[in-house]
Amino acid sequence: TTSASPKKSDLRCMGCVTVGLSLNSKNFSKMLQTCLYQCDRHRVILEAEERYKEKLRKLAFCNNSSSAPYQKIVLTPIRKGNLNTES
Amino acid sequence: MFRSCSAWFSQSVGRELCDFWVAEGGVITNHHDADYLFSSDASCPDTQRIHESRDYIEGKATVFHSCYLSSNASSEMKQTVLLGHFILPPACLQEEIKRKIGSFIWEQMNNSQIEQLEIL
Ligand SMILES: [Zn+2]
Repeated sequence: TTSASPKKSDLRCMGCVTVGLSLNSKNFSKMLQTCLYQCDRHRVILEAEERYKEKLRKLAFCNNSSSAPYQKIVLTPIRKGNLNTES
Repeated sequence: MFRSCSAWFSQSVGRELCDFWVAEGGVITNHHDADYLFSSDASCPDTQRIHESRDYIEGKATVFHSCYLSSNASSEMKQTVLLGHFILPPACLQEEIKRKIGSFIWEQMNNSQIEQLEIL
């Protein structure tokens, strides 16, 4: 049943309980996104990063999506504040 | 403790931390192949490039603050250091994040831990 109260183990933020070397730069973001519970710190960071990535995606799309986004972005001067959210 | 792990280091990371990584069995490689991306400054151009890369947008290139390694190097914190507490977000997001959750863990780390590492 989906409405059942979550198990206690579900209420732990994986970003805050995982020690050792099972996490790395390649899998960290995916792990955190699929984690059922995120603490305030990780949720805030994740949300800010997702908004920023969305802007980058749009920017890359506008600049023609045929090549790697960062190359296009690096060649295009970004006005200061463009990537800032709610400033 | 980092045997068979590979890492990329930003130029902003001090030499002693790269040496520590190698001394603990880690390998240093390019940012595309590396399991771990370490930087001590999100506004450093090499780190900014990662934060604008396709890998990052696709969620496959989280950058961690190199203080993670300093913490591992200080003996009393060994085995209890959480990688997840050392996320280094893009420079343009840090003020916004700090307004909501306070300072980052690497800003709270005192200089004695860094000095301790230099003695090693
Ligand atoms: Zn957390």
